[in-house]
Amino acid sequence: CSKRRSSGRIHANIAAGAVVCVESEIRGDVTIGPRTVVHPKARIIAEAGPIIIGEGNLIEEQALIINSYPENIMPDTEGVEPKTMTIGINNVFEVGCVSQALKIGDNNVIESKADLGKNVILTSGCIVGACCQVNTCEVIPENTVIYGSNCMRRVQTERPQPQTLQLDFLMKILPNYHHMKKTVKGTSTPVRN
Amino acid sequence: ITIIRDSHAHSCISTWLNAASVCCLENMPSAEAKLKKNRCANCFDCPCCMHTLSTRATNIPAPLPDDPSKTAMKKAYYLACGFCRWTSRDVGMADKSVASGGWQEPDNPHTQRINKLIEYYQQLAQREKLERDRKKLARRRPYMPLAFSEKYGLGTRLQRQRPGAPITSLAGLSLKEGEDQKEINIEPAQALDEVEPLPEDYYTRPINLPEVTSLRQRLLQPDFQPAGASQLHPKHKHLLIKRSLRCRKCEHNLSKPEFNPTSINISSECQVLLTLTNPVESITHVTLVGCEEGDPEDINSTAKVMVPTKELVLAGKDAAADYDELAEPQDFQDDPDVVAFRKSNKIGFFIKVVPQREEDGDVTVSFKIRHDFRNLAAPIRPSEEDDAPTEAIWLTHHVELSLGPLVA
Repeated sequence: CSKRRSSGRIHANIAAGAVVCVESEIRGDVTIGPRTVVHPKARIIAEAGPIIIGEGNLIEEQALIINSYPENIMPDTEGVEPKTMTIGINNVFEVGCVSQALKIGDNNVIESKADLGKNVILTSGCIVGACCQVNTCEVIPENTVIYGSNCMRRVQTERPQPQTLQLDFLMKILPNYHHMKKTVKGTSTPVRN
Repeated sequence: ITIIRDSHAHSCISTWLNAASVCCLENMPSAEAKLKKNRCANCFDCPCCMHTLSTRATNIPAPLPDDPSKTAMKKAYYLACGFCRWTSRDVGMADKSVASGGWQEPDNPHTQRINKLIEYYQQLAQREKLERDRKKLARRRPYMPLAFSEKYGLGTRLQRQRPGAPITSLAGLSLKEGEDQKEINIEPAQALDEVEPLPEDYYTRPINLPEVTSLRQRLLQPDFQPAGASQLHPKHKHLLIKRSLRCRKCEHNLSKPEFNPTSINISSECQVLLTLTNPVESITHVTLVGCEEGDPEDINSTAKVMVPTKELVLAGKDAAADYDELAEPQDFQDDPDVVAFRKSNKIGFFIKVVPQREEDGDVTVSFKIRHDFRNLAAPIRPSEEDDAPTEAIWLTHHVELSLGPLVA
């Protein structure tokens, strides 16, 4: 018997203009905005609720964006509201990072092997440094840089630039070497088995 | 085989110090480094996280010098830290139009006062030294007429005389000729009665934590020690010291550290002296051969070895040799480059060792020894033929030598 929820879509809703490689794993109700690039081996898993990703994001290899159940709740529990994970525009998820943060704003950079917990909210212009684990329960103020083995913080005066050049390059080159997942125009009707 | 390791025959070693920059790999002698206060001219440290700053370029539109109404893209350079994302724009440093050399460290407002103090104390120290020397010579005066001072080489100072003045042994000590001794005066530091009061909201104003510098950040800039992060200026990077060793006798460089790992050529050879003792009573011929590539027995060697190509001949063990002084030494015509010494059934020979890697462990070499062996034990069944001379058989052994650690 299938465990799929009635409101869940099986196919990801990939907007036209997004470049999503076939080798990436996208499970559950995921919406991906235009001009977003998802590299092969990236994983976007909407377990406990839908994920909505905005435009111009760059999700690199082995990045994991997962909307998971809170630790003390079993998947079969009744009456649990699915929470939507929202990701804004122009974010960069570098290789190997893990993000469970439910709300991510714009122009953030999550560097390689960084780990964001469920209760963190990133505003805009934040940079989470490589290998930094942020599992506090807080809203990270704008333009914060988290770096170093002790997760030192500082505020920078300018927000990180959007990776337009890189995105353009990838959108041209990736289709030459990988197959892409099909995009849809507008919303699609949910397909049920 | 007994081994005497004599890795470098000459024991006098001279060292010299150089300063080198880790980031741009610039080398300079220590005198020049002292002038630059042991700092690299090109490279900067991030004032926030102490990593090396890199120079980045952006294109900004700038008005052309000929025609102010038109703008062209010009390159502007700024410093940025790849680790904590600090940029020179954070502290208000303007972008420069040259990639390197445009960045200046801010001046220390106290430089003048400090220099004056240093001069004053240097002069004071000199004067005190002169006083001490004067006292020493004054004590020796009755014993040492001027003629002796020349012989004992008390220095040309004593021989300098003011023209026209009588020769005294202390003439040279009062004033060096040609130098005018300027009296340097300093004002003593003034203690102030009135101190600026703290601002009124000192205790009530909420702290802006990102703006507060940490102790480490503050103390790395001892001249300014800024309390606010917006005054943290980058400082030039410290140089590191390279201590190089060289043998005085043969001028070989023994140890020359390098900061760039790709530029290391391990070309230092060592000569190692090995002794070989012949346990049997007959003459033995020994040939040494290096190990081939892919030799299954050669697993541990960390250095290349060059063994002598000529055959070594060892005399037989002669128990009476020590006592028989009349015996003529057998003439083996040893090559002095190969054979260091020969004593009855012992021979000392050289091999050249070239370490292959900078290892922490011991330097290990391996090679093959091939020698002849005659079994002189009487056969169990005497052969019916005439006494055939016992055949020599050639045996090959694999030898592995551990020569000890590399001297850094």
